[in-house]
Amino acid sequence: MEYIVVSILNGVVHGLLLFMVSAGLTLIFGMMGVLNFAHAWFYMLGAYVGFTLTRHGGFWAGLVLAPIVAGLLGILVERYMLRRVHKYGHAHELLLTFGLAFIIEEVIKLFYGDALVSYQMPDYMRFAAFTIFDTNYPFYRLFMGAVALAMFAVLYLLLTRTRVGIVVRAATYRPTTVEALGHNLPLVYMSVFAGGSALAGLAGAVAGAFYPTGPSMAVDFGTLVFVVVVIGGLGSVVGALAASLMIGLFISFSVGLNVSLADLLGLFGLGPWAEELGGLFTLQLSTVANSMPFLLMLLVLLIRPAGLMGDRQ
Amino acid sequence: MIRAVIKTRTIVLLLAAFGVLALLPLFLSPNLLNAAIKMMIAALFALAFTLAMGQAGMLSFGHAAYYGLGAFAALHLMRAVELKLFGFPTPLIPLAGALAGFVFGLAFGWFATQRTGVYFSMVTLALAELLLTLAPTWNALFGGESGIATMRGPWWGISFGSDADVYYLTLAWFVVSAWCMWAFTRTPIGRLALALRDNEQRVRFLGFNAHVARTLIFAISCLFTGVAGALLAIANEAANYTIFSAQASANVVLQTFIGGAGTFFGPALGAAVMTFFARVTSDLTRSWLLYQGLIFVLVMLFAPQGLGGLIALHARKVRADGWKYLIAPYLLCLIVGLLLMAGLVFVVESIQVVMSDAYLAQRAAAKGEWVPYELFGRTFEPVSPATWGIPIVLLAIGGGLLQPARRLTARAWLAATRDVPTPDAQEQPVAASSPAAAGQGASS
Repeated sequence: MEYIVVSILNGVVHGLLLFMVSAGLTLIFGMMGVLNFAHAWFYMLGAYVGFTLTRHGGFWAGLVLAPIVAGLLGILVERYMLRRVHKYGHAHELLLTFGLAFIIEEVIKLFYGDALVSYQMPDYMRFAAFTIFDTNYPFYRLFMGAVALAMFAVLYLLLTRTRVGIVVRAATYRPTTVEALGHNLPLVYMSVFAGGSALAGLAGAVAGAFYPTGPSMAVDFGTLVFVVVVIGGLGSVVGALAASLMIGLFISFSVGLNVSLADLLGLFGLGPWAEELGGLFTLQLSTVANSMPFLLMLLVLLIRPAGLMGDRQ
Repeated sequence: MIRAVIKTRTIVLLLAAFGVLALLPLFLSPNLLNAAIKMMIAALFALAFTLAMGQAGMLSFGHAAYYGLGAFAALHLMRAVELKLFGFPTPLIPLAGALAGFVFGLAFGWFATQRTGVYFSMVTLALAELLLTLAPTWNALFGGESGIATMRGPWWGISFGSDADVYYLTLAWFVVSAWCMWAFTRTPIGRLALALRDNEQRVRFLGFNAHVARTLIFAISCLFTGVAGALLAIANEAANYTIFSAQASANVVLQTFIGGAGTFFGPALGAAVMTFFARVTSDLTRSWLLYQGLIFVLVMLFAPQGLGGLIALHARKVRADGWKYLIAPYLLCLIVGLLLMAGLVFVVESIQVVMSDAYLAQRAAAKGEWVPYELFGRTFEPVSPATWGIPIVLLAIGGGLLQPARRLTARAWLAATRDVPTPDAQEQPVAASSPAAAGQGASS
């Protein structure tokens, strides 16, 4: 029981964090048709900005500045790079952001080295929020979940309740009409791109203090984010939320389970045979927990190729 | 249907290139010979990747999966031969890689090709990541974290002990595979790949099963990727799980597009050049990946057709006597590029030295003073304006000359290509978009 409750809590928080990053990605894609490969690298940038400011100023200054830095970089990328290659098609834009991811990672390595950096939350946030079944549940996990939820609420209200949101949503479906009505479409694109990047930067600054911050965090997290948007369906914010929670729960449950395919087959009396075969059959579920999201993705592709909420093709 | 028109000039060129490649081992040092083997393997990998990308428009971010599977298949076969389980001719070992690549290409490709466009890219990336997370824990197949190692067996009096033997084996497989891939683009299914890239809807209306065709083309690309992986396994006699890393998948994408995915031999050229570049620069500096990334982004921004595209553009459009207009502007571009590059390299390398642990320790020893640092065999003061003057002057001169160079190149380009009929009107908009900028990208 304890295991289930703690796993659910951890899974939901991890899922909300995934959602924070994938929401920006899916918004940008839905609107501009650009898959920003470098999105997770903005997340990493946010974590490093947070780390730098925690060293020199304060944790909260990092939380404020990380989205600003990531957003400004997003503006530069959209204005001076993506817009230039727009005429060559979406594959070209994808490749450009792919190269950009490389550069961001290497520049960060240039300044901070190849090793993990010790980005820590402030001491006054390091306490147990509550105790369930003798487990002290860290407050910071709740904080991460709360930031993600607040972000979701703001995003939702912004998109559905304001004039800006109307223009943005309209530009997703009928860009030429929006432009004909006198709205500055390139500006809308640039803002959405900057906003998405800023969200990733904020997520990085929040999550980096809890999870390890290092040069490989982007590629690890980035592939997860891609899995989220494949499962959820690109362009759908609700789909991204559902898929993020699903993957978060999936990972947090499989981390703690020490069962293998052999144990499963043991239920049918085939256990010894599978043990003998070894290989894939005796791998513990907990050791392959990192592969779980990918298997989930294959499953979704098999059943619903368009993703949970995606349009057909 | 396009008839394969091979000009005499092309045949002579290819034969000459083959002759040079065949004679190379006589002149190369062991280190360079090894580099040549790696360059050919990378070139083959890039060609195989382009089969899916350039032909069918399937941008795979996870081709390292099939590369790695090919390598491990070859290693297991070599191990079996070494343990005398059965005999197998060493030169044919890449067939195992081909088989592994094809089978897994079919299986994974069936999933990945459910979706097109960016979805496809993400799914392939995730599939490679799946293998990367599985491989270190799966000892029997991938040898855990340390990987598996074996020996090349002798065959028919050839020991395969020296690099020269491996070189000829790699060359033979490279030539045969490259020819097969070229021939494949001329077959009906090869033409179908092009059609799938350009208009999938229409292909489906014509009665083809687009999903099956995609899967098949992807699997054939994986087949040759497996061959490249097997050749790598033969050359290294070992492999571990890092062969599946995102870095490996990324490299082939970078190399292919620097070379230019629009031409047949562009990717091979890009892969060979960038592998050599990596080999040289990775000995000199730790930030060589940054330079590779910068080159890639510059090519994407200013020469979207890649190196191969630039060469093809020049071969097609420049008049026989047009080169006399172009030499001077190109030299200017080269100088501008070198100036900018020198300034950038100075800044990057300085940052790298100043941020390194060794230098921080020195500073700590000197109680936080900015002690001089060493770079390029000289010492510099980190806070003196003279030090920062160097890159600023280099970048300023380079930046100042940029606009004149572009203008001159654009004018010379017009002069050099005057009165040349465009053989292929469709390619013109992309190719001729910005010759000046293209020249810039190539030189910087």
